[in-house]
Amino acid sequence: MSPPEFHYIGQHLARKEDYRLLTGHGRYVDDIEVPGALHACFVRSPHAHARIVSIDSEAARQMPGVVAVVTGHELAQWTTRQRMAPPIEGLQAMEMDTLPIDKVRFQGDPVACVIATDRYVAEDAAEQVMVAYEVLPAVSTMWQALEPDSPRVDESLTSNLLSHQHANHGDVEARRREAHRVIESTFSQHRQTHLPIETRGCIAVWDEGRQHLTFHVGTQVPHPYRTTLASRLCLSESQVSVISPDVGGGFGQKIALYREELTVAAVARHLKRPVRWREDRLENLLASAQAREDFCRTRAAVSADGRLLGLELEIIEDFGAYSFYPGNYLARVVAMILTGPYKVQDYSYDVKVVLSNKVGNGPMRAPMAITSWVMEGTMDAIARELELDPVAVRRLNMLQPEDFPYTMATGEVLADITPRETLEGALAAIGYDDFRRRQQQARAQGVYLGLGICTVVESTTYGSRFYKAAGIPGSGHEAAWLRIEPSGAVNASVGLGATGQGYETSLAFAVAEGLGVTPQQVHLHLGHTDIAPYGMGSRGARGGTAGGGTLYLCAQEASVKVLAIGAKLLGLECSLALRLRDGRIEQMTDGEWVATGVGLADVARTAYLDPLALPAGMHPGLEFHRTYEPPPMTYSNSTHLCEVQVDVATGAIRFVRYVVAEDCGTVLSPVVVEGQQHGAIAMGLSGALFEQVYYDEAGQNLSGTLADYLVATACELPHIEILSMHTPNRATPAGIKGMAEGGVMGAIGALTNAVNDALAPFDVVVNQQPLTPMYLRDLLREKSNLTNKA
Amino acid sequence: MSNFEKRPITLTVNGHNHELRVEPRKLLADALREDCRLTGTHVGCEHGVCGACTVLVDGKPVRSCLTYAIQMEGHEVSTIESVAVNATLSPLQQALHEEHGLQCGFCTPGIVMTFEAFLKNKPDPSDEEIRDALSGNLCRCTGYQNIVKAIQKAAEQMRRNPDYVAP
Repeated sequence: MSPPEFHYIGQHLARKEDYRLLTGHGRYVDDIEVPGALHACFVRSPHAHARIVSIDSEAARQMPGVVAVVTGHELAQWTTRQRMAPPIEGLQAMEMDTLPIDKVRFQGDPVACVIATDRYVAEDAAEQVMVAYEVLPAVSTMWQALEPDSPRVDESLTSNLLSHQHANHGDVEARRREAHRVIESTFSQHRQTHLPIETRGCIAVWDEGRQHLTFHVGTQVPHPYRTTLASRLCLSESQVSVISPDVGGGFGQKIALYREELTVAAVARHLKRPVRWREDRLENLLASAQAREDFCRTRAAVSADGRLLGLELEIIEDFGAYSFYPGNYLARVVAMILTGPYKVQDYSYDVKVVLSNKVGNGPMRAPMAITSWVMEGTMDAIARELELDPVAVRRLNMLQPEDFPYTMATGEVLADITPRETLEGALAAIGYDDFRRRQQQARAQGVYLGLGICTVVESTTYGSRFYKAAGIPGSGHEAAWLRIEPSGAVNASVGLGATGQGYETSLAFAVAEGLGVTPQQVHLHLGHTDIAPYGMGSRGARGGTAGGGTLYLCAQEASVKVLAIGAKLLGLECSLALRLRDGRIEQMTDGEWVATGVGLADVARTAYLDPLALPAGMHPGLEFHRTYEPPPMTYSNSTHLCEVQVDVATGAIRFVRYVVAEDCGTVLSPVVVEGQQHGAIAMGLSGALFEQVYYDEAGQNLSGTLADYLVATACELPHIEILSMHTPNRATPAGIKGMAEGGVMGAIGALTNAVNDALAPFDVVVNQQPLTPMYLRDLLREKSNLTNKA
Repeated sequence: MSNFEKRPITLTVNGHNHELRVEPRKLLADALREDCRLTGTHVGCEHGVCGACTVLVDGKPVRSCLTYAIQMEGHEVSTIESVAVNATLSPLQQALHEEHGLQCGFCTPGIVMTFEAFLKNKPDPSDEEIRDALSGNLCRCTGYQNIVKAIQKAAEQMRRNPDYVAP
C-alpha cells in the first residue's frame, strides 16, 4: 500500500506554540490574574479509612483572612452527588458525595475546604480545622479486597468487587485438552500516577448579574467537563463556560471533574466571589488520580512447535476507592485487544476490578499499558518453556499481511496494520542474529546482555460503536469548525483540549491539506467551550484521527466553496480545473497548474463584503461546521526492541540500545509524532523502572514527594532510534491512524522481556514491576540459595 | 516584629527594582509570580526536585521554591522573561524550538535558565555532561532526547557566535 500524496501533511515544521512557552509567556491556569480571587485549601484525611465523627472549624474561621470553611454537608446542598451507573452487566453502581460526609476512603481524601484571602493563610487555617475520626481497618491490596471478610470500601455495595466480566470465544477447554503444554505466566504491574509537571488547579468566577460561571481549568475534555460541571451545580450548559488555557501535561489525569474543582466552583457561586485553587505536589501524589495497579495471568495452550492454540486471561485491577470512571473502563480494553498481533481464535477472559482504600484510578497514557507486556511475555514464556527462539515463536504465530482484515476472537477487527513488517524491520535494524552471538560471547565473560521484543497493536481513536459494543458509556465522534475571515485569515477549532502535544501545529496540517493553505496560515482555537464546537476531547490517542480527521473533512468542504467562488471571479463555468495552493487559486492549463492571480483573500472579501457577486443561490460568508464519526476503532502498530545489560552483582539495569519500528498511518506532523514517540516510551520505561505509588498495610501512602515517587531523569533514559514504517488506514480521512500511547505499551514489555533474556542463564523470571535493583537481587539471591541447598 | 508581618524588600529582577512588602516566609517563586507578575517561572513541586522554578541568582541557577524572597535583597535575580531580547530567541531557546525540545512547556523555563548558565561555564559539553546537568529538571513529555540535542546545537551556535550575551 503506497502512502497517499500530500502537499502539506508530513512536512517538517517546528511547532507554532513554542514561542510563548519558551519566553515565559505561556498562560497556564495559575498564571491567570483574577482580581480579588480567594484561595482554597483542602483539609485532607490522615487515615486510609475512617468515619468522620466531627469537624470543628471554629478556630480556623477566627483566623484573620479566612472567609469560609465548608464541608461535605454544605456542598451536599449546593451540588448533586455523582452517580456512576452505566447499564453494564457485572458492574455495581457507585455514588460519590462532592466531599465525604460520613467516612473517608483514602489517605488524602478531602474533608473540608478553607477559603481565605491568600494561599499561605488558607494553608495555615487548614491546619486548624479539627476533624475527629473513628479509624476503620483499611483495604490495602487487591487480594485483601477480594477476601470474604474484607472491610467494605463502599458500604452501599455488596462487596469490594466493583466489576466482574468474563467471556469465552471459541473453545478454550478443547484447545487445552489438545495441547502439548499449557504454559502459565503472571504479570504484576504496580500502582503509578500521571505526574504532570503542572499539578491540578482551577479558578471559578461567578457572575451574579448574568448568573454565569466562568471556570478556568486545565482539561483534556472541555465540553464533557462542562456538561458534568453544569449538571452537578444544577446549572444549564448556557450558564457555564469552561476555559482550558495552556496545560502543563495531562496524560489522562485532566479528564474527570474532580471533587476539589467542583467544590471551588460551588463555593465561588455561594460566596459570589472568585475562588482559585492550586494543588501542591503532595496533594497531587496523594489525592489526584492513580493508575495501572493490575495483576494478569495467562494460560497458553500450545503445540510442541510453539503454536498458540488457545489463550486464557485473568485480570484483577485495584481501582482505588472511588469511581471517577466506570469500573470496567480500563481493564476491559486490555481483555478485548490482548491477542493483538497474533492469530488465535480460542480465547477467554475474566476481568475483576476491585475497590481499595487508595486514590481512585483514572486512565493514564495507555490505560491498557500492560497488554503488550502480557502478550509478549507470554510469547517469551512459550519460547522459554519449549526451548525455542523467541523470534521463531513470534513468526510462527503472528498475523501475516494476507490475514488482514482480521477479526480477533473478541470481534474487534484489525485492518491496515503491519505487525510482521515492523517486527522484521526492527530485527534487521538491531541485527538480531549478531546480537545472539554478542550475547553468547558476553556471557562467557560474565556480562549479561538481554534483548527484549515487544510488538504492539495499539488501539486508537475509539469510535462510538466501540463504546456501545464494549458497554462503556461515551461517544467517539468529534466536531470542528473552520472560518475564513474577510481578510482571508484562516481560523479553525475542534473539541480537543490540548495538554502540550502540539495540536496547534499538527492539526494545522489537517486544515492546510484539506483547504489548500500553508499550515502557517492556519490558527487553531482550542479549549474554550464558547468558542470550540462540542467534541469529546483529547484522550485514547484520538486527536489525530478524530480531531485531525474532522478538521480535514471540514476544510475539504470549505475548499469546495472557495473554489466555486474563485471560478465565478475568474469567469469560469465551474471549478473543476481549479485548486487552492498556499492560499492562491491555480488553474490547470495545458497539463500544468498555473497561477490565476486570484487568492483566498479575494474570495473571502467577496463572500463577506460583496455577496451579490457570489454564484447564484450561494449563501454569504465562509463559515463551515462538520462532525465526524470515526470507525469503531483504528489501530497502529510498532515493534520495540530494547537491549540491556544487567549487572547481576548489583541488580542495576543499563540500556545499550532502544529501537522502535512504528506504523501509525499518515503522519500529520513528523515533529509532533516523534515527540509523542519519545515521550510515551520514556513514560513506559520510567514507570517500569522507578515509579511506584507505595501504600503500606495501613493504607498510608509512602510516596508523597518526588524523592519517594521516583521519575526517570535525563541520565536514566536511553537514546531512542525510530524507524518510520507508516502505511495509511483506508477507512479514515487522509489515512490517519492515531498514536501516542503505544510507546508506553511497547516500552514496558520490551524492557521487561530484555531483563528476562539477560537473566536467562540464572533461570530467573521477572514477573512484576518496577524492576528495581533490590527486586532483581532478591530473585537472583533466592535462586542461588536454592541451588546451593540442592 | 512577628514572623508573619510583612516587611519592605527590594527585589532586583531582570534589572528592575521591585519595592515589595512581603512576609519573611514568602517564597521567591511566589513573589516573582504574584508580586512582580512574572509568571514565566513555574512551580512544579515546591520541594526542590522538579526544577521548573529555576531562576538565576547572580548568574547561578537557584530553585526559587526553596528560596525566600527576603533573602534576595542585594542580589540580582534573572527569570525566563529576560532571556529573549527584543522578541529574539536566544540560541538555546531557538535550538529548543528547532529540535522540538519542549512539549507542554511547563518545565521549559527552568531548563532554559539552567542551561543558559551551564553553557556559559561549559561551552563544549558532552552528551553525558548535558544529561547529568539536566537531571535536575524533570520533564514528563519529551523523554529528554530532543532537549539534549537542542542543547548541543545551541552550544555549537554559541561557540560559533561568541557575541551572544546570556542573561
